[in-house]
Amino acid sequence: MTTHALDKSAALNQGVIIFAYLAILTALEFGLAVALPNPILLLLVALFKAGLVMYYYMHIYKLAQQDEVLPRNSYAYKTGSNRLGLWLFLLSDAFVFGALLATRFNLWGMTRPHLNQTLGLAVTTVLLVSSFFMNRAETSIAHGDRKGFLNATLITMILGIAFLVGVVGLEWQLAQLENVIVNKDVKGAVFYMMTGMHAFHVLTGVIFLFLVWRNGRRGAFSAERYWGVEAAAVYWHFVDVVWIFFYPALYLIGTVV
Amino acid sequence: MRHFIIVGLLVILVTLGTYFGLDAVGLLPVDASAQASPIDFLWDLQLIVLSFLFALIVVPLVYSLIVFRRKPGDTEDAVHVEGNTKLEVTWTVIPLITVVAFAYLGAWSLRETRRADPQAMVVRVIAQQFAWSFEYPEYGGFITDQLYLPIGRQVLLQMTSRDVIHSFWVPEFRVKQDVLPGRETQLRITPTRMGRYKVRCAELCGAAHYSMENAVIVVDQVAFEKWAQEQRMAFETAQTPEQKGERLVRANGCLGCHTLTGQVLVGPSWKGLFGSERKFADGTTTIADEAYIIESILNPAAKIVAGFQTANPMPAYVFDEEQLSYIIAYLKTLK
Amino acid sequence: MKQLYSIPLVRGLVWLVIGLAAGIAFVVGIRFALELPVMGRYLFTEHAWVFGGVVGTLAFLAKHGVMDGWFKVWKGEEEAEHHEDPEGWIKYLGPSLDHKVIGIQYTVTAIILFLVGGLFALIFRTELAFEGQQFLTPDQYNTMMSLHGMVMIVSILLGISGLINYLVPLLIGAPDMAFPRLNAFSYWISVPAAIWLLLSMPLGGVETGWTGYPPLSALPTKVGQQMFFLGVFVAGWSSILGALNLIVTVVRMRARGMTAFRMPIFVWSAIATSLIALTATQLIGLSFQMVMFQRLFGMGFFDPAKGGNPILFQHLFWFYSHPAVYVFILPGLGVVSELLPVFVRKPLFGYRWVAMSSLGIALVGFIVWAHHMFTSGMNEYLRVPFMYSTLLVAVPTGVKFFSWVATIWQGKIPSPMPTAFLFVVGSILVFLMGGLSGPPNAIVTTDLHLHDTYWIVGHFHNTFFGGFVFPFFAALYYWFPKATGRRLDERLGRWHFWLMASSFFVLSLGMMRVGLLGMRRRIFDYDPELGFQTTHIVMTVAAFLIALSVVIFFVNLVRSLRYGEAVIGNLWNSRSPEWQVPSPMPAHNYSAPLVVVGEPYDYGLPGSRYVDFAPAKVGD
Ligand code: HEA
Ligand code: HEA
Ligand code: HEC
Ligand code: CUA
Ligand SMILES: [Cu+2]
Repeated sequence: MTTHALDKSAALNQGVIIFAYLAILTALEFGLAVALPNPILLLLVALFKAGLVMYYYMHIYKLAQQDEVLPRNSYAYKTGSNRLGLWLFLLSDAFVFGALLATRFNLWGMTRPHLNQTLGLAVTTVLLVSSFFMNRAETSIAHGDRKGFLNATLITMILGIAFLVGVVGLEWQLAQLENVIVNKDVKGAVFYMMTGMHAFHVLTGVIFLFLVWRNGRRGAFSAERYWGVEAAAVYWHFVDVVWIFFYPALYLIGTVV
Repeated sequence: MRHFIIVGLLVILVTLGTYFGLDAVGLLPVDASAQASPIDFLWDLQLIVLSFLFALIVVPLVYSLIVFRRKPGDTEDAVHVEGNTKLEVTWTVIPLITVVAFAYLGAWSLRETRRADPQAMVVRVIAQQFAWSFEYPEYGGFITDQLYLPIGRQVLLQMTSRDVIHSFWVPEFRVKQDVLPGRETQLRITPTRMGRYKVRCAELCGAAHYSMENAVIVVDQVAFEKWAQEQRMAFETAQTPEQKGERLVRANGCLGCHTLTGQVLVGPSWKGLFGSERKFADGTTTIADEAYIIESILNPAAKIVAGFQTANPMPAYVFDEEQLSYIIAYLKTLK
Repeated sequence: MKQLYSIPLVRGLVWLVIGLAAGIAFVVGIRFALELPVMGRYLFTEHAWVFGGVVGTLAFLAKHGVMDGWFKVWKGEEEAEHHEDPEGWIKYLGPSLDHKVIGIQYTVTAIILFLVGGLFALIFRTELAFEGQQFLTPDQYNTMMSLHGMVMIVSILLGISGLINYLVPLLIGAPDMAFPRLNAFSYWISVPAAIWLLLSMPLGGVETGWTGYPPLSALPTKVGQQMFFLGVFVAGWSSILGALNLIVTVVRMRARGMTAFRMPIFVWSAIATSLIALTATQLIGLSFQMVMFQRLFGMGFFDPAKGGNPILFQHLFWFYSHPAVYVFILPGLGVVSELLPVFVRKPLFGYRWVAMSSLGIALVGFIVWAHHMFTSGMNEYLRVPFMYSTLLVAVPTGVKFFSWVATIWQGKIPSPMPTAFLFVVGSILVFLMGGLSGPPNAIVTTDLHLHDTYWIVGHFHNTFFGGFVFPFFAALYYWFPKATGRRLDERLGRWHFWLMASSFFVLSLGMMRVGLLGMRRRIFDYDPELGFQTTHIVMTVAAFLIALSVVIFFVNLVRSLRYGEAVIGNLWNSRSPEWQVPSPMPAHNYSAPLVVVGEPYDYGLPGSRYVDFAPAKVGD
């Protein structure tokens, strides 16, 4: 079963275009927060970004693909089941992040702590670029390009690690200087909880990517059988979607106190 | 058709039987506040409707079990009835209307219970593990451990907690409100019946939650004024250190954990405490002198009395030296 | 010794202990190096215990064998999703991938926890029988009471998973669940969960009731509180993953021809339950995790002194725990809907309405949580909308009741009534009592009186018993022959039923009575002035009679396993596919894929068929 109607270069191009949109929207978001800090507008931008990622990078439409006619024990039919399972897991996980957002708005209201904006934008960009490469990796293997897939996966992984270093290694240290301290007040508690839970997911994503990369090098995936890659990609993009909401919630919405 | 008529009659009978039966048993405690009347009214209405619904299900069910028994030797299946959309719609829509009507009445009665009287008397309620104290700002701010209320006048309780969540509830007044640390919650009560009641903490707050009950006394206006003035006088005019100590102890909820009778609640009883020999968890002993008592209050964790290692620990208190001397004077009286 | 160690469960437990010790040692080492206090009130500090618990859980799972398949896949090796189980009872202690084995594992674990939870109830009920202190301290009482609540709830969660796991693949004609490995994992993770939950007892106990409200639960006094949270957190994963598996199974594994409205009704209730469990469970996990972090790292989410908000916890907690009560009952109500038509030989009245009512209950159940918080001091304006939404749940629940009555009406009631049928009828009556005691709580003003009294305790014991305990027993009496090829004894069964039903009514009516008159919940002793002692004595006696009925059930179970009447055919003359093949169920379920050709409950329609065991035409 071919999941890709597009040929390879068209699919790769699509990835570039979506990446450009996301980059522009992120810039717009940042500009909005400076010029016109309206939470509704920021939410709309975030929703739009999440929609783009879910459709073009996570291929949510594949869930609706009819494969009832396939034999039950075929790889393609099982992949369909796996895909549904993964999305259900993400739905479940989304409730955690939703609850964390609710916690943030309950405890911070329309305020936010002073954080390093440059670093915030930088890690956001890193994650965004990593999503781009993740998409390339998946597209490549779907079209049988193993080398492209391996390289793009490796880059994604490195960017993921860079994100972790940025958040846990730098931002957590810098935030302490800004008096955002874990056991001092809710400012710290919420900040570390949200970034920590997200970073934990990035970490699991990196491990997942590593397994995919290693098994890929041993020749585990092909244009017909690459569920492992797809799963890693969808998961990775999901973690990106979460950050699409966390970033404005932590860095952009509300007045600094 | 015959079946329907019999069941219909039985439903009416069982409804009435259930309702009047329950009514005769008497389900609620006496009502002693103005806020209780809309609640009791609504409760009664619910009882009728619920009795009816109970009968509506139980009667045809039990009737079927008895009447539609399989005859011996009959091996056939029953009639083939798949459903009836009209019926389904009926028993969706009628309950829907019923519950919406109830919700409307609920909102109405909520408004009634919250109706504010601008003349209401303010009482501040302080909850802590495991006792209540009450402050009367309109009478110079004296603090007691009994809630005295005049009949017929609304009180506005402004409540807060020193530690965990508690809940203010006098069953005879019906209404209930949680008491939170770091925040004020309010409750309005207009007593309508004289008598002695108890405020019973309704939110699990630790080991001695069960004993977190203080007296609530509703008296007439005159008696209330008299009592309040007495308390105020006692509070403001000079008195003995023992009396001052007793008031401090009552105002700070110590008696939620310590008794004066020798009974053990959460902490050791104070009866005969002063001057006695104390054994500690680590095996050491000491005589309960003034220094020890002061340390026990300011820094309870320093020495843990044997047998209380796993009890709810005592919170550290802040008192000045003068206050401590009053408390000690009071403790000395407890032989 | 070596042989013992080769049993997966034993191996897992050994490693659980090793992991616990290693985790503790690790934290102790670090704290020692940082010159922080190493020892705590319960031997070690909280950090050490919690970390030890996490490591112990992982060690258990890694060494037990349930993750071996995944390890292989991660290493890039292919691994079959089916291997033969060892013969005999030993397979129940190992990582079997067969949904029937897993279903039985779940069920047995649920029964064990039910006994433990019930034992706690008997202990604290004895304390409550008389005024004054008998033999427990207030602390021990709170621990017993809290663990009774939570152990019972976990028991229900495992019990419904047992039913769902065993039944759903059979009912939809599937060879197994969609993800057999995940299925085994979901079960086995509940074992460490139960252990941590019970370990809270020696570590100081639990003070807060099953709801674990901070700030009380955040007071740094008892390590037990943390183990309680950890246990529930881990158990939550069992629920989430099991639900995920079930949904995929139903969506992807149904037999040909089984359209949505031709599924057995139990499958609908399993879907509704799983939708809740999949999503909402995350919130109890998160809220408990946040309290754990508040205690471990001083994060002040719920601490007013740090700007935190205790009410926030209640919102997060009830966002799960209200929908969860429908998780507990929907499968039970599904059992009732499933069995009634078989026994009265009539189609389920209004099949589609009953199916949709399950979804209705589940969905409305998501927007009613704050009815537990009418007195909490949350935003005042929230109370009325939550009252409306809560009362709405009565409507779909009513649809179920009316449809049941209409199903029984003019049915052919078996005579004498089999025990399974008695339990079905008992469920309806008991759940009706529980359901009808719901609306008074949902109406804000009456709840101001009822909240946190024994009335509420009565309400939920009725819903639990009516929505879970009775249907669970009905299901056991009904499907026991399917699983074992033997039948439970009917005479003992009738004793079990009548004793349990009658003493339960005494217990729960007693609870409601004292509650209305002013008996608060969660109290270790009650004010003699209230004059409740007589009622309490009666309630305690009733509790012991319930326990006696459970003992009778046990005798029945153990005896019937060996000496029960052998049944291999379609004992209940049911149309459902699992009864069309011999009992006990063959290892790979149906030898050929079955095809659904008709409606599931067409009793009384001559010549109608539900499933067809035609040999497969497509190469499948
Ligand atoms: C299995 C569990 C279960 C079930 C099914 C329910 C069902 C319901 N519950 Fe219950 N509930 C609990 C378990 C359950 N509950 C628990 C455990 C607690 C306490 C938690 C704690 O604090 O520890 C609790 C507490 C609780 C409260 C909080 C009380 C308080 O603490 O102050 C409320 C308030 O609204 C409530 C309401 C309801 C309602 C309206 C229903 C409805 O779903 C009932 C619907 C059913 C019917 C109404 C009967 C049949 C319907 C008809 C015959 C149709 C016609 C009906 C009408 C027109 C009314 N419940
Ligand atoms: C499925 C759920 C379930 C079940 C079945 C029960 C069953 C029982 N419950 Fe339950 N109960 C809860 C769920 C449940 N409860 C919950 C959630 C709470 C709230 C807790 C809280 O407030 O936090 C609660 C609270 C609660 C209270 C209120 C406590 C308080 O507020 O202080 C009381 C008081 O009487 C009580 C009594 C009983 C009794 C007597 C039984 C009886 O039916 C039990 C019958 C006995 C058995 C089934 C055991 C049989 C055992 C043996 C024969 C011994 C053999 C044992 C071994 C070999 C280990 N329960
Ligand atoms: C939450 C419960 C609690 C409250 C409230 C409380 N105590 Fe205590 N108290 C304890 C416990 C438990 C102990 C025993 C453990 C210990 O020695 O710290 C104790 C011990 C003491 C002792 C030492 C007693 C002895 O037997 O040696 C004194 C004195 C004392 N408390 C005074 C007070 C005073 C004064 C107050 C109020 C201002 C008070 N307590 C409030 C729980 C409490
Ligand atoms: Cu205070 Cu319970
Ligand atoms: Cu609820």
